[in-house]
Amino acid sequence: MQVFFQTFIGGLSLGAVYALVALGFSLVYRTMGLVNFAHGNVVMLGAYLASTFYLTAKLPFAVAMLVAIVSTGIVGVIIERVLRPLENKDFDLMLIGTIGFGIVLEALAIVIWGATGRAVPSPVPAAPLDLFGIRVRTYNLVVLAIAAVATLLLVLFLQRTKRGAAMQAVAMDHEAATAVGIHVGRSNAIAFVIGAGLAALAGGLVGPLLYVNPSMGGSLGIKGFAGAVLGGFGSIPGAIVGGLAIGVLDSFAAGHFQGYSELVTFVVFTIIIVVRPTGIFGERTVNRA
Amino acid sequence: MSRYHAALRAVFAAATATALIAACSAPGKKDDTSGGTNAGPIKIALVDAQSGQLSSLGAWELKGAKLAVTEWNQAGGINGRQIQLDVFDDQGDPTVGTNVARKIASEGYLAMIGTAESAVTIAMAPTLKQAEIPNITSGQSPGLVAVKSPFLFLNGPTSTTYDETLAKYVVDTKGIKSIAMITNNGSYGKGEHDAFTKSLKSRNVTPVADQVVTTDQKDFSAVLTTIRQKAPQLIFLGAEEVESGLIVKQARDLGITVPFAGGAPQGTPVFANTAGPAAIENTIVSSPYLSNDVSDASKKFAAAYKAAYNEDAELHGAKAYDGAQILLTALKTSNVAKGKALADAIRSTKREGLLGNFAYDDTGVGIFATSIGVITSGKLVPANS
Repeated sequence: MQVFFQTFIGGLSLGAVYALVALGFSLVYRTMGLVNFAHGNVVMLGAYLASTFYLTAKLPFAVAMLVAIVSTGIVGVIIERVLRPLENKDFDLMLIGTIGFGIVLEALAIVIWGATGRAVPSPVPAAPLDLFGIRVRTYNLVVLAIAAVATLLLVLFLQRTKRGAAMQAVAMDHEAATAVGIHVGRSNAIAFVIGAGLAALAGGLVGPLLYVNPSMGGSLGIKGFAGAVLGGFGSIPGAIVGGLAIGVLDSFAAGHFQGYSELVTFVVFTIIIVVRPTGIFGERTVNRA
Repeated sequence: MSRYHAALRAVFAAATATALIAACSAPGKKDDTSGGTNAGPIKIALVDAQSGQLSSLGAWELKGAKLAVTEWNQAGGINGRQIQLDVFDDQGDPTVGTNVARKIASEGYLAMIGTAESAVTIAMAPTLKQAEIPNITSGQSPGLVAVKSPFLFLNGPTSTTYDETLAKYVVDTKGIKSIAMITNNGSYGKGEHDAFTKSLKSRNVTPVADQVVTTDQKDFSAVLTTIRQKAPQLIFLGAEEVESGLIVKQARDLGITVPFAGGAPQGTPVFANTAGPAAIENTIVSSPYLSNDVSDASKKFAAAYKAAYNEDAELHGAKAYDGAQILLTALKTSNVAKGKALADAIRSTKREGLLGNFAYDDTGVGIFATSIGVITSGKLVPANS
């Protein structure tokens, strides 16, 4: 029983990070119908920026995170700006463009920070809590709380603000949205900025949990993408549930199947997707394909 | 719908294309001055991961080997010829490695230094054997010996030596019998698992837990909680630097206080930084190069390394330095021979190196001893047994 709960807790905290990554994927997808393959690398960039501001510039962790989120958001604007001429013209090229950006970002990180990577000490030095023999790291609670707040803010933005409603409209039908005077390009840019900001949040939070290096975007991107698809690609609650599910699934697979855990995780993932192709929260409103 | 499918197809095409481009575009000079002729620089290839997860190893190797080459070049080179060290990035990937092997074979390199990943070296070995290009690797998997290539040499001991020394210290000297194991399923972890299990078995010790993780795993709650319930006195670690660091960090958070033990990765700064200084205290390390202060040669090497790169030298740089020195010595004694003659010259080269006294046998292994160190106050110090 102890193993069960400990495994669950361990999976949940990484799952929260996957959920943030999944949110970024889903937000851009629901707005533009585009899978941003550079997203994992944007997470890596965010992790590097956050760790640089935290360790090198010696800013407090929260401030370092904010600066990292803003600067990564600017990178999001640049990516969208470069890809914008392709919007509604050549969709395939746009996808390939995001892959290209991913490679450029990784190379850039190697040029700036070197290929070796760095460890980030935990900003919350308190000892883990002990609940009936289950140990909970305080930093993991911080990660879960921040992920929850970020999700809440995102949902409020999409549902309660005019700009958010406009983005929802673009997600449903971008031609009709244009007809009623919504600036689709601006809407896309905002999606990219928020997506990149979420990526930086995920990257910054995962730094002290893992190790920051230029290739970290690969596995985080894949797991986050799988989370988004599992939850229902384009769905906001789906991204959260999917991301957490992938984290927990991964942890349990690691306990039971040892070296074959990765295989088992993705076999289970595939079976779920075959049975339910729209994912857990498949939304009908988002059908850009 | 069709747009989506076309898009997906494009993505896969693009992904394949990037993989291909990446595979073909390993950096390296493309001049055709053959190293086999008696003029021009002597061309040596250094193949290591310069990007990807294993790039710290690649970076250390490059620094160590480059230091040796620079020393020789400053002393006038070999027979008046300068040595040209070209770097190729294998990305820690065996497929990329085989492409690089063909590239060095076709571009007239006399010898190769690297790689740090046994799996990559094993993948490259057949091509290099056919092209008769001697290769001094930093890999340590017993699988390297099993390749039985007369052109493949190791610049350090194999996992068998590391783990036999470790088991001897832990079981025979310290009397610890309750041991748990965590190894990964990569080539390094698999080699460590088999070698350490064998050493334990010969001492009639069965590990209380034998947990295998993947090379890419990030959360170890399940395996560590299982181990915690078994309450071992020691945990053996067979995983690379970063993963080992994460395992130790998470173990301490889960309330596991017993020491860890392992080979080369546990002696590196990357391991220490990832886990945190308090977490690694009392870690037992089996290594042929415990610190920069063990001998006059190592002090000299460490000073030169610090002067050149402004960072402290460690095992992997020292290994690559030894390997490069052996290769350059063999080139000198053989009058810049190539192919089989160069391989024979390497085999007969004796060197009092940083890691110990090298004397190669037929299997391509030149060194058969490691020492035991214990991390005390954040520093790796020789164990007082």
